[in-house]
Amino acid sequence: MYILRTSCISPQKTHDGSYVQETVSYTGNKYNAIEPDYKGLIRPAQLRRMGKSIRMGIGAGLPLLKTIEKVDGIILASSEGGLEDCIKFLNQIENYNEGALTPTNFVQSTPNALAGSLALMGGCKAYNMTHVHRGLAFENALLDAILLFEEHKAETLLLGNVEEISEYNFNIETLAGQFKEEETSSHNLLSSQTPGTVCGEGSSMFLLSDKPDNAIAELTDVAQICFPSKEDMIKHINTFLDKNALKPDDIDTIVIGKNGDSKTDFWYDYVCDTLFDSQNKYYFKNLVGEYATSMAFGVFLASEILDGREVPEETVIRKSGVARNILIYNHYKGQQHGMVLLRK
Amino acid sequence: MNIFVTGLGCISPLGFNLDENLTQLRAGKDGLVRSEYLESSYKNKKFFGEVKKDTASLLKQISVTDKKGLTRTDALAFIAFKEATEQAQLQKEEIESVETAFISASTVGGMCLTDELYRDANLKTYTSDYAESYNCSAHTLRIIKEYNIKGITNTINTACSSSANAIMLGMKLIKTGRVKRAIVGGVDCLAKYTVNGFNALQILSDSKCSPFDTGRDGLNLGEGAAYLVLESEELCIDKPKYARVLGAGNTNDAFHTSSMSDTADGVIACIQEALSDGGVRADKIDYINAHGTGTQNNDQVELTGFKAVFNTIPLFSSTKSYTGHTLGAAGALEAIYSILGIMHNEVYPSLRVKEAIPGFDTQPVANLISDKEINTVLSNSYGFGGNCTSLLFARP
Repeated sequence: MYILRTSCISPQKTHDGSYVQETVSYTGNKYNAIEPDYKGLIRPAQLRRMGKSIRMGIGAGLPLLKTIEKVDGIILASSEGGLEDCIKFLNQIENYNEGALTPTNFVQSTPNALAGSLALMGGCKAYNMTHVHRGLAFENALLDAILLFEEHKAETLLLGNVEEISEYNFNIETLAGQFKEEETSSHNLLSSQTPGTVCGEGSSMFLLSDKPDNAIAELTDVAQICFPSKEDMIKHINTFLDKNALKPDDIDTIVIGKNGDSKTDFWYDYVCDTLFDSQNKYYFKNLVGEYATSMAFGVFLASEILDGREVPEETVIRKSGVARNILIYNHYKGQQHGMVLLRK
Repeated sequence: MNIFVTGLGCISPLGFNLDENLTQLRAGKDGLVRSEYLESSYKNKKFFGEVKKDTASLLKQISVTDKKGLTRTDALAFIAFKEATEQAQLQKEEIESVETAFISASTVGGMCLTDELYRDANLKTYTSDYAESYNCSAHTLRIIKEYNIKGITNTINTACSSSANAIMLGMKLIKTGRVKRAIVGGVDCLAKYTVNGFNALQILSDSKCSPFDTGRDGLNLGEGAAYLVLESEELCIDKPKYARVLGAGNTNDAFHTSSMSDTADGVIACIQEALSDGGVRADKIDYINAHGTGTQNNDQVELTGFKAVFNTIPLFSSTKSYTGHTLGAAGALEAIYSILGIMHNEVYPSLRVKEAIPGFDTQPVANLISDKEINTVLSNSYGFGGNCTSLLFARP
């Protein structure tokens, strides 16, 4: 499966590419997306009604759809969907005591609303899917696409993720102990050595093809495991590499999802120390924060690297050679672990 | 490659297990009631397909190591999952194997706890047992952890077609050799959140729903869970096989966020794709388990689709007239009812149809049929966002 083009809205200026020269720093627990001007893409009346997740997803996805005559499917990953709309509708229910409510928030709150809206705005009547498996939703979306190509049911696909910060998930995740109690900055987040991380959001979209022509990278395979033991994890990575006729040494670059949470970052150190101790090494959550489908940003960053583009120096931990074979390893809350293989 | 259904498990408004569901289907007895357990002011104003047990009793029924934070959704999922895997005679190590995938679906997730969610989301508390319980995948993760599942796992939310897509994806994973076995299905619970959502859309009927009746005036919401065990032929040579999964179609109507196009574009393309994926001619379909929600829009559009695809529209009915619309569980529950039809050569009727919808020269099955061979069945599911999925099952 080949990546033809990418598009990304994130807490960095990825939408116009200027994030490489100028990184935005954050303090506190919310890394809010920097959104583009949607004028010309979304009609103002439509834009006013759109929740943030739909807006970002359309903003990242629709321009890609416009670069191609047709796609054979739209595949989305989102753990939470339109949270802002969800809480608005929830508050309507409580505040008006289940009275006469307007359905707009309800309809927009369902996680499949974005894939539906993209199909509607892009006129795509083909395959349409939304994966919501929390920390592995994006990995499952990738697998879905791989299967469609393998079955020759598609030649091109639009695939992506969306996640938004809303009061709803932020408060609930705060109760779940997900965020830092002290204030950190994006400069010291990953070295903080305290419990909790920070909350990010965004949408990364990929135009995929079954043919290598004009591709910027090949995404060869994806793997996943839930609630592994340490031994399970190493075995699982080795099996995954083996299945793709690779050894750990064949991987020249590793992109990892370290997020500064002392409760779960040990997984990254353990995997890197055991299998990948000399590879080129990149982080990304110091730039975009943590969210369940953050693997999507990892794939965006890896695509940029393989395409030979510059990436922000804040992401580079170790760089000694050219990247040809990249493994991205990411987990969510130490429970759901995903791996993606990309090559030039 | 042949893929067989070797296990079925369900809990629904019709009963707590597969047998109880079958008995009610045969008897033509619906499970639609004024709600006993829903915490909503609509509980006595609308009809609901409610599972007839309170949450505490449902939770008591399941054997789970740590019950903290479990919801009604989780309880239903655990109950149906257990029945399906036991019926398929799956051993512990088979469920744990990386050759086994688990794909579930839900649209409501733990939002059945609407009041707790309101409290937690607005930070009106300092601690909550439920912070990890609201997500659509919460039940999937609880089952994964409890059963130590190490293979591919997933949760789908394409609104009302969610668990039909879970079945399709399980089939594809086996077909492409990624796994040899997939446990697939979905779950949803009645929730103040969805009741108010569908009510705001003005598509909830005040009476018991009557899909495909010309006087139909909306749907009833329901709840339940349903799981199927799919296995590749090599794994189930000596096992009872209940049906064969032939193929699936997935399209988008790309017309409107919460209603379907008059021309039934998504419906037509979806059925055609399922037929072509399964290598089945349209005239081979013996019965269609329709999406048939009972809204003006859905039933009219679905019939338009049938008319376009079939020279003679096959026998069809909507078992939502028994259960109400169980949302994320509907696709899997109706797949199970379709398979029961194949197993017993039966068609379960659409209840309460007084007058067929004009213009189609056809009417849904109104009484139990048990004297006809049912070899191949089409099961349809359509959701908000234009999502359409059709599944094909056949005699093993």
